[in-house]
Amino acid sequence: MNQVRSRYVDGTAAGIALGMVLLASFVVAGRGIGASGAFAATAGPVAAVVSRGTIASSGALADRIPVAFEPWNDWIVLELLGVIIGALFSARLSGRWRSATNDRSRGRLSRAVAGGALMGLGARLAYGCTSGLALSGGALLSTGAWLFIPLAFATAITVTLLSRDPRLEAAS
Amino acid sequence: MIPDSIHPAVTAIPIGIAFGVILERAGLGDPRVIAGQLLGRDFTVVRVMFGAIVTAMLGLVWAASAGWIDTSSLAMPPTDLPAQALGAVIFGGGFALAALCPGTACVAAASGRRDGLAAVGGMFVGTALTPAAWPVVRGAVSDVPREGATLVSDTGLPLGIIVVLLTIAAVLAMIVGRLMENRELARSSWRPTTPESVALALAASFAITDGRGSLPAPRTDAIAAEIEREADHIDALELAALIKSRAPGLRILDLRDGLDTSTYMIPGAAAVSMSDLDSVEVRPGERLVLYSDGGAHAAQAWVLLRVRGVRDALVLKDGMAAWEDEVLAPLLPSVPDDSAKARFERAKELSLWFGGFPRLVPDDSAPVTTPRARRRRTC
Repeated sequence: MNQVRSRYVDGTAAGIALGMVLLASFVVAGRGIGASGAFAATAGPVAAVVSRGTIASSGALADRIPVAFEPWNDWIVLELLGVIIGALFSARLSGRWRSATNDRSRGRLSRAVAGGALMGLGARLAYGCTSGLALSGGALLSTGAWLFIPLAFATAITVTLLSRDPRLEAAS
Repeated sequence: MIPDSIHPAVTAIPIGIAFGVILERAGLGDPRVIAGQLLGRDFTVVRVMFGAIVTAMLGLVWAASAGWIDTSSLAMPPTDLPAQALGAVIFGGGFALAALCPGTACVAAASGRRDGLAAVGGMFVGTALTPAAWPVVRGAVSDVPREGATLVSDTGLPLGIIVVLLTIAAVLAMIVGRLMENRELARSSWRPTTPESVALALAASFAITDGRGSLPAPRTDAIAAEIEREADHIDALELAALIKSRAPGLRILDLRDGLDTSTYMIPGAAAVSMSDLDSVEVRPGERLVLYSDGGAHAAQAWVLLRVRGVRDALVLKDGMAAWEDEVLAPLLPSVPDDSAKARFERAKELSLWFGGFPRLVPDDSAPVTTPRARRRRTC
């Protein structure tokens, strides 16, 4: 932290602001915010090329993996594009943009890939991730969302505590 | 709500930008912040998530009780508890490994971080490999998820009580966070902060004023939108799969006229006449499936139930006629493509389970045949 950069804002204030954005999304778009849905809309058609039969044979799978590729008309893809634009501007303006890896511990990149892959599968099974299911579904009192929130965090905490890496802790 | 004629980008991109800016400003694109949460040292994630959920939830319930918004028209993730439990465990493992979630991985990548980009790439791979992993996980997945299942419909508790309980849980999580972050236990850590007190007051006053204890009856335009989206339908194969898997809460109502003891009914169905529909009690967590000959009576009954506030009700598409054609005597199309073949295989398995007769060629000798003229596209 030796360089000048602005500090992160208070979590509660950010949470209230995010709640207002979520509310605005419900009012103007009729749906909540999300993230993993955009991956389904773009990676799904790729999967469909190799396993169309598998997807067609299971209604539950077809429900989760869209096979038509039309990202420019897909609300959730465009919204995630907005997230990337917003984060890029915010990181630039706050002096936090940096081409780097967050920590140089060995295996950080492969852990990130593996973690991403597990989240991709888990989010498809659960009909959403921490954004679309936990935040948006949680605010709508969806039963599935309120099962997902404690269970996903409890698993993440357990895995983190079991795989504590002392080198990481020294760095932070 | 913005009409469909306007391109989705008009709402999606500004909302996404605001979402991205807030995640970046709060530090959630930084895996150290998320790892700090998982280790119990930094409760930013809890503050942002529960702050957002409680704010949006209170905004929704107050706006709905004022009649400004109809919550039943909002898109909502479906509920399939075993699949979502397995999904949550797999997701949680990935969340711990990456120390980023799908949204914040995009924020990290947009901030120039290579590990963020790696997690985004992993998300693509994991999503694309979901069909390949399906044979392993499909045991947990039910064929048709429950649409619109909420804590209110599943527990039977009044909306006001649920809102108060969730707000209290969120405030408690934030207080625990402060206690775990500050090693010296200052007295102020124990008390709700101003925003937390405001949230508790809003939740409590909602519970007191909301005497009806449930969301206002859905407006007819929302019901019309649901019909337009065909969210009210279940097809015969999906219903067969639900019956076979003994889906909890499933209740099938047969609305045909002139039923007697010799009439074939879908297994597990109960006969209900249109005039008795009003006296049908729907328990929390129950999912109704309605059918009639072609589907017209069932569709009318669906609207009546929906106006009564019953949310989890579906109409069997094309009624008994579809059950006969697709489950009891499915037919392989004469020029089958891959997806038609796969559908037939699925139908064949279900058909045999229900004692039907799958056919490779149209065959008049099949015991249950339905004159094509009876097939009506009623809804």
